[in-house]
Amino acid sequence: MTLFTKNDCRLCDQLKKSFDLAAMGVAVEVLDGSNAAALAHLAWHGLVETARKTLPLLVLDDSSTVADFRHIEEHLLRRAAQYGVAATAAGRGAEACVSGSCAL
Amino acid sequence: MPLKAEGKGGLESSVHREDSTDIALFVRTSQEDMLDWDRQRIVDALLRETLIDRDTAERISIEVEEIIQSGKVKTVTGPLIREMVNAKLLEMGLEEARRMHTRLGVPLYDVDQLLVQHNKENANVPHGPEATNLTLAEGIKKEYALLHVFSPDVADGHLRGDIHMHDLGFIDRPYCSGQSLEYIKKFGLNLPHALSKAKPARHADVLLAHMIKFAAALQSHFAGAIGWDAVNLFYAPYLEELSDREVKQLAQMLIYEFSQQAVARGGQAIFSDINIYWEVPKHFEAVPAIGPGGEYTGKTYAEYEKQAQRFAWALFEVYKEGDATGKPFFFPKPLVHITEKFFRTEGHLEFLHHICDVAGDKGNTYFVFDRGETAKISECCRLSFKLEATDFEDAKEPWRMRYSALQNITVNLPRLAYLAKGDDTRLFTLLTERIQLAVKGHEQKKKFIERLMALGEGGPLSLLAMKLDGQEYLRLHRCSYLIGMVGLNEMVKVHVGDELHQSEAAMKFGLKVIAHMNIVCKKMAESTGMKFVLEQTPAESTAYRFAKLDMAHFRADAEPVVQGNRDRGEVYYTNSTLFHVGAPVNPIARVEREGLFHPLIEAGSITHLWLGEAHPDKKALADFVINVFRHTQNDQLAFSPEFTACLDCGRTTRGLHDTCSHCGSTHVDGITRITGYFTKVSSWNKGKLGELAERYRNQGQFAN
Amino acid sequence: MRPNVARLPVPAIKGVLETSFVDWPERLCAVLFLGGCNFRCPYCHNNSLVLHPDGLASLGVEELLHRLAPLKKWLGGICVTGGEPTLDPHLPEFLVLLKEGGWSVKLDTNGSRPEVLAQLLAQGLLDMVAMDVKTVLVQEKYDRCAGRPVDLGRIHRSIELLGASGIAHEFRMTVVPGYHGETDVAAWAANLAGRARLTLQNFNPKSTLDPAVVPAAGFPPDVFGRLCRLLPMSGEAGKK
Repeated sequence: MTLFTKNDCRLCDQLKKSFDLAAMGVAVEVLDGSNAAALAHLAWHGLVETARKTLPLLVLDDSSTVADFRHIEEHLLRRAAQYGVAATAAGRGAEACVSGSCAL
Repeated sequence: MPLKAEGKGGLESSVHREDSTDIALFVRTSQEDMLDWDRQRIVDALLRETLIDRDTAERISIEVEEIIQSGKVKTVTGPLIREMVNAKLLEMGLEEARRMHTRLGVPLYDVDQLLVQHNKENANVPHGPEATNLTLAEGIKKEYALLHVFSPDVADGHLRGDIHMHDLGFIDRPYCSGQSLEYIKKFGLNLPHALSKAKPARHADVLLAHMIKFAAALQSHFAGAIGWDAVNLFYAPYLEELSDREVKQLAQMLIYEFSQQAVARGGQAIFSDINIYWEVPKHFEAVPAIGPGGEYTGKTYAEYEKQAQRFAWALFEVYKEGDATGKPFFFPKPLVHITEKFFRTEGHLEFLHHICDVAGDKGNTYFVFDRGETAKISECCRLSFKLEATDFEDAKEPWRMRYSALQNITVNLPRLAYLAKGDDTRLFTLLTERIQLAVKGHEQKKKFIERLMALGEGGPLSLLAMKLDGQEYLRLHRCSYLIGMVGLNEMVKVHVGDELHQSEAAMKFGLKVIAHMNIVCKKMAESTGMKFVLEQTPAESTAYRFAKLDMAHFRADAEPVVQGNRDRGEVYYTNSTLFHVGAPVNPIARVEREGLFHPLIEAGSITHLWLGEAHPDKKALADFVINVFRHTQNDQLAFSPEFTACLDCGRTTRGLHDTCSHCGSTHVDGITRITGYFTKVSSWNKGKLGELAERYRNQGQFAN
Repeated sequence: MRPNVARLPVPAIKGVLETSFVDWPERLCAVLFLGGCNFRCPYCHNNSLVLHPDGLASLGVEELLHRLAPLKKWLGGICVTGGEPTLDPHLPEFLVLLKEGGWSVKLDTNGSRPEVLAQLLAQGLLDMVAMDVKTVLVQEKYDRCAGRPVDLGRIHRSIELLGASGIAHEFRMTVVPGYHGETDVAAWAANLAGRARLTLQNFNPKSTLDPAVVPAAGFPPDVFGRLCRLLPMSGEAGKK
């Protein structure tokens, strides 16, 4: 499972706050302006165009992609339960990105 | 040609004249002899052209005069005296002065060869007096560019084959140009210094005449492709009165006119693209339409959908028929945009079958995929970009939409792998350095073009400086600067051990290389304010040149990876980020996996599928095209059939054959796509011939 | 869910073309080549498949289905061709496997095994059939084209079966100079007219089964075009 994020992205930060992603075995890729490896990884999954519209993106182990913030949270909650890691979702209202910065 | 003294004492340029036309005439007509020798002209030339002092110049002129008078030299020519002076400059260690004083030209032997042999660097240039003029001029301008426009590090980088600067022979022109018909519809054919000016066209056929002439004028001001946006839509307001037969006639005239422009520059057809939409593109829907006489018709373009479709249909009927012998038309290349709106537009499936019929039969159709409601413009060749806010402003007055790439510089990727010797850090550091070198080359070209443009309508680029709509035709501040790549496949093979199609690791590393290039371009764009974008180089001769140079200078490294036939010298690297042409990868996997690179290459990319002899079913192709749009990231797709044209009976058959299947003649020429366009195989350079033999043609795979 | 194919008796699949634009009218399909044939058409261009199928390794069915699975959303089906696929005793089970996997199936056959064809049709395993009708149904001519004696009654029965099947089918003929003339094509077409789509294929001289007795080239394109125009309706559709 890989979570594609960006540094100045409010929704990405929200997820990083809510979940102990490392403990849950979720790899985090940070798409800043100089991370070629992360960008290449994103391209490998065919997600460059999608990321230009929305971030964060969660790629599941079967290579399918989750783009909707609420769905990402649901997947991560389930994963947290599997791994026995405590987590709380941010809840309703958190899914809106107002600044438009939640994209590549 | 008698080897007599030519020019006044050989120093032709010592005559002070304001404009170059008089100097050229002077050199041609003057045949003076030794009696006119005047040592002073050497001094004048050295002082004018170099930075050396008068005493040194005097000394050199005296020494040269002594040699000439000593009787060792029986006949002198201008070039000879100049070289003698240069030799003196070298003796004195005045290297910089010698560089400034150098003479650009071509040896007698080379000219003789050129007039007889065929230049195959660009398969679009036929052999003929115009073509040799072009080659000679290009040769001198190329030397000029390398000596005078670019700094030595950039020029050396090119000469060594670290990078390739395209179209150096066209140093005084931008690379390519994309525009719409709106400019000539609104302003007529109103070119600077033209002998006559034409008002905006009132009739469709006159508009066509204007378009052709304007394209020819543009061709002589740009090095590469001339592209036209939404041609069928912008023609539409002129078509309302025309019957279907007349529309077909117009379509036929348009295609024949563009395909037969080999009478133009250097006997070279205008490398032309026409962009075609079945729907009315969103950004033009509400735009007031310009019609006959350059007047607004009172309607918007949305109201011309049916007329635009009628024209699009007719154009593809003409492509389907081919020329008088059934051969596919080489130009103009039709780029059909497949968008979300395409699938919402009535009749799209019939049209898709129609263009797939042409794709399978003649191969002309390019499918351009504009996904996710983003508007894209295809400038030319495979160069396209997404419309930004300012572009949408321009779209309201579409004549403003003029785009150009100023230059294209390609990086030799395999060489980086030879130098890195398996070290990632070294590889990426070198790659960054190469891009920085390319950026420097771009800055220098920009400066040079700016200098020419500053001379305005009285200068050499008057056409580009004309300001019919208040701004110069060439909008320099909007230009792109292309950075291309050749041989990702071979680079990855050297560095990782597999070709791109052979392993996931190879593919992932390839993506990392392109992602790195993408990121460096962005950073350089931020720091310079210039728009650097990656493009897949249509490396017709670059793929051959790099491979040849690496075989010469990095033989041990290059030999195991270079493609083609080494014995015959038919070597090449795989184009840009493409898979090896012979890789046994089925078309679906090829569009999917090559397509993963496409979103990182923002100026446009393409996948080619070679069909060989097979004549695909149009509906099967259409299904395939729809799936490419829906399920992949692929940017652009073309299918390439192969043909044999008989030079005896003049007929054309499917497939590449040694004999004509009509009359049995062995006097035949193959026709297929070289990189971005169709051409005769007999005109191909060696590298491309090597590639042709290896192309994978979707044949069955058998275990053995 | 992937069926357990390892224990199934499987046909000898000798080759695969993952994407074909030409083997199924109006569809993109994959093509599987089965080895072995009961005909010896001298102008056959799949000769190794016909003469020496054992010299070609067989592809593993499981691996093959695994390879084709990701292409499923792209493909309109799988075309099973040969050789002559109806000779393979495991063909029915194999087609069941394909149908269970959700694939549409097209069969290419020479029509010499009507009992197999009938069984496959009855089991609903076929979505389309292309049958090579080698020439007019005249014993001497047919034997010459097939390169050995043929029971024409069986060919007739296959034609009838397909006509009554209710599934899409086509009859096709490879035309060879010296083997097929205009009158043959006209008679062939008249005989099969109204039954299905008819197509002609021009002879391809590359790697034929018996080069000694076949011509060096196919019909010139204009002659081939004329032959195609002898077919009812289809005309251009017959050109390949």
